[in-house]
Amino acid sequence: MLAAACGSDDSGSSSETTAAASETTAAASETTAASDDSAASDDSAATEAIDIQMWIAFSDDARLNFTKDRAAEFNAKQPGYNVVVTSFDSYNTVFEQAQLAIDDGNPPEIIHFFEAATQEALDATDSNGDPIFKSVTEAVAGRTEILGEPVVLDDVVSAATKYYTIDGSLYSMPWNTSSTVMFSNMDILNAAGITEPPTTWQGIEEACAAILALADAPDNCITWPNHGWWFEQAMGQAGQDLANNDNGRSGRATEVFLNSEPAIEYIQWWSDLEDSGDYVYTGTQRDWAGTAAAFSAQNVAMLMYSSSDVTIITEDGAANGFEVKTSYMPYDGDRPYVGNLIGGATLWMANGLTPEEEDGALAFMNFFSNPDNAALWHQVTGYIPITNAATDLLEVEGWFEESPNSAVASAQLNDAADTPASTGALLGNFVAIRDVVTIAIEDILVNNVDVKTRMDSAQAEAQQQLDDYNELYG
Amino acid sequence: MGIISSFLLAAAIGVLSFGYRTKREVALGLALGILGASVILAALDFCTFASDAESTEGVMGVGLAGAFAWMFGSGTKAILRKQEAAGLGSGEIRTGTFRLGWYWPWLLLLPTLVILVFFLYLPAYRTFTLSTKLTRLGAPRVGERCLSNFSELLVPSPAVVVALPLASIGLMWGIGLWHNRAEPGSFAHGFSGAIRPFGIVIFLFAIYYIFEDVDGGYRQIYFNTVIVSSAIVVVSMVAGLGLAYLTYGYVRGIMVYRTLLIWPYAISPPVAGILFFMMFNATGGIFAAVADNWFGFDFPDYARNATLARITIVLASVWKLLGYNLLFFLAGLQTVPREQIDAAAIDGANSFQRFRKVIMPALGPIAFFLLITNLTYSFFDIYGTIDFLTKGAPAGATSVAIYEIIRVGVDNGDLGRGAAQSVVLFLAVIALTAWQFKQSEGRISYGSA
Repeated sequence: MLAAACGSDDSGSSSETTAAASETTAAASETTAASDDSAASDDSAATEAIDIQMWIAFSDDARLNFTKDRAAEFNAKQPGYNVVVTSFDSYNTVFEQAQLAIDDGNPPEIIHFFEAATQEALDATDSNGDPIFKSVTEAVAGRTEILGEPVVLDDVVSAATKYYTIDGSLYSMPWNTSSTVMFSNMDILNAAGITEPPTTWQGIEEACAAILALADAPDNCITWPNHGWWFEQAMGQAGQDLANNDNGRSGRATEVFLNSEPAIEYIQWWSDLEDSGDYVYTGTQRDWAGTAAAFSAQNVAMLMYSSSDVTIITEDGAANGFEVKTSYMPYDGDRPYVGNLIGGATLWMANGLTPEEEDGALAFMNFFSNPDNAALWHQVTGYIPITNAATDLLEVEGWFEESPNSAVASAQLNDAADTPASTGALLGNFVAIRDVVTIAIEDILVNNVDVKTRMDSAQAEAQQQLDDYNELYG
Repeated sequence: MGIISSFLLAAAIGVLSFGYRTKREVALGLALGILGASVILAALDFCTFASDAESTEGVMGVGLAGAFAWMFGSGTKAILRKQEAAGLGSGEIRTGTFRLGWYWPWLLLLPTLVILVFFLYLPAYRTFTLSTKLTRLGAPRVGERCLSNFSELLVPSPAVVVALPLASIGLMWGIGLWHNRAEPGSFAHGFSGAIRPFGIVIFLFAIYYIFEDVDGGYRQIYFNTVIVSSAIVVVSMVAGLGLAYLTYGYVRGIMVYRTLLIWPYAISPPVAGILFFMMFNATGGIFAAVADNWFGFDFPDYARNATLARITIVLASVWKLLGYNLLFFLAGLQTVPREQIDAAAIDGANSFQRFRKVIMPALGPIAFFLLITNLTYSFFDIYGTIDFLTKGAPAGATSVAIYEIIRVGVDNGDLGRGAAQSVVLFLAVIALTAWQFKQSEGRISYGSA
């Protein structure tokens, strides 16, 4: 859009084409979603079912189909409503499209949005200056069931509640929630005489020395994607806040701390691990697919990854003939461990809905994360069971004995101390600040620049981003 | 201070660009220059000279005043000249009126005008206004930024920002003057002629040094853009011409061949990115597998090496453009009269000489057209290829101007900075195109008698 506006014919046509193309895909997926649902709810058409638009940022089959199946079940159960799922390719697209739709006066009722942009979602206003989202706790207003669906909002597990609680209550309905965990190829580790995955940085170095000394050693020992989330996790482990005002929890954050001593130490360790050849950088930022591929191709023995894919990675390992064991994300053994934090996304409810639409949206969100559905979601993906009831249900079923890897992320989150650092930061322009960290780390890994100098300039850049944000919203 | 020097400069430039033969001309030039400066400075609310403005912003304010004075002065002059020429009635083009009424041509133009205004001029105007602001989608407030979205792309020293480009332009101009004054055949003439083409390189270097160098500064983006774009244009055009020259006229089944050649052009840039990713990827790519299994060496990983990453981007883009260029050059070669080539051969010109002296000049118009389209491609359409191939990696080594605009303006949602960068790209393309037209003036023969 920006380029289209810059006046040259050719720039205009090129970017308009891409914009048009992405709109077409969005429209296309909407049509399919709509046709699915209209087929399911033909019989209820007579009673004029209220449409509940749900916009999500998942476009892969497993997650999208899970969502559509739940919507279809809900529509069958609640003939007065018709939940329509529309899929977008990223959180940013969902947010942008939702903002534009809200200005048009035709907002989607339920919007899927990720943790780093929580502050932005809270602060965003429509063209009249009204907030674009409404607190779900406020909308539930103490009810224990809505349209016959039991309310599960109060039962959300503590790690997610801590992260998403703003001014004392949950503003959005937590959905996909994960943490960073480590996957180990136990066949390689056992061959190197290691029986348990390492738990500390020092342990990783020792294990890597043994693994790379093997006759048929893999190319490298370990990998993980370069994503700002790792930096945030490491700061949580070290008990280092990312921003002032208790990580933005006791008041709006106005200062970032990217060049703190634990930050320098963490990135230095990462960089040294890369220099020694233990760690391999795939060369692309946020390279989830590339790092996972390196692990399943046994090019590396260990992988740090999101727990969101525990099921897939474990099954992939079995299919490729090796045993995968999941463990906590290793921390600095020379420093007391504080705690890891969550990542993922929540479901936000648009502001300014009619009471009927609001109830429909709330009923669906609570149905969507009822114990059965939340447990199934966990089993399909690896995201943690989002309510205590879902965890209990899975325990009764014996799921965790059957697949112990699935229990690791929840256990890691439960072991975390209750401090602002291990809760995670609430920060304006966090997405851009994450980007600053990711780029700085890439610069350090690829160009071997000095860690302290590079993080000082990243700090200045990030502080500028935060200042700009607070000037507009603060 | 700043305002006074802006208006003095504007008045001078107004007079110089409009003319100073008569008193009336001087007066009109003065007025036009001052009007131009007033328009732009008033539009900016004189913010460039505010007490809290940076010195670079002040210099930009003076520069803008001068530029607008020049636009008003020379623009008016051009319009007056046209009218004069029309009034004289040269006889070739006669003016007339529509019998149906004066509004009739406007009515016929209306659809075009509406499209132009709403899809080109208004968005362009919005980009210019956005570029002076700090704003995000859904923000309750807007921050005024004057020209700091631009000045923060540059080094903080206004002296460097002004002196380097001026010095390099002066140098280019001086060399040109030297060349023109020197006696043809003398050493000075030959030498100045030989170094003249490097003037543009010196200018590009001068611009390189005016951009901010700190981490995340614009200098790297500028460097990437210049390197990647010029490599794409040069390689795709030279290779296209070379292949066309080797194949024209002698290939059996040329129709089929040509159709096959145009295929890559029909593939969208992101798909080109995916194809090259699948070929060149060091862990699961086709070439890596071949290198590893058949020849037993490790295929280098372009994602971790800045030079290889740039080469891969250039290759993917050249692959896409090559068929297109080849097709146009083939068509162009067919228009070169056979007799001229034969005549040159009879005169004893060898194959290279025939190519250089007979064929190349005839291909001028097509080469110029391809140069502009290839440049446009390498500036704008390359986004999709980069996004799928490297995402700007490693460490920003393949992040070119258009990629950075989208990263800042769309991904980070910083509309003001994104707009400012797109204005910079817009100005660069305008300047480059103007330079190309000036360079080719009189040198390209369109073959009219």
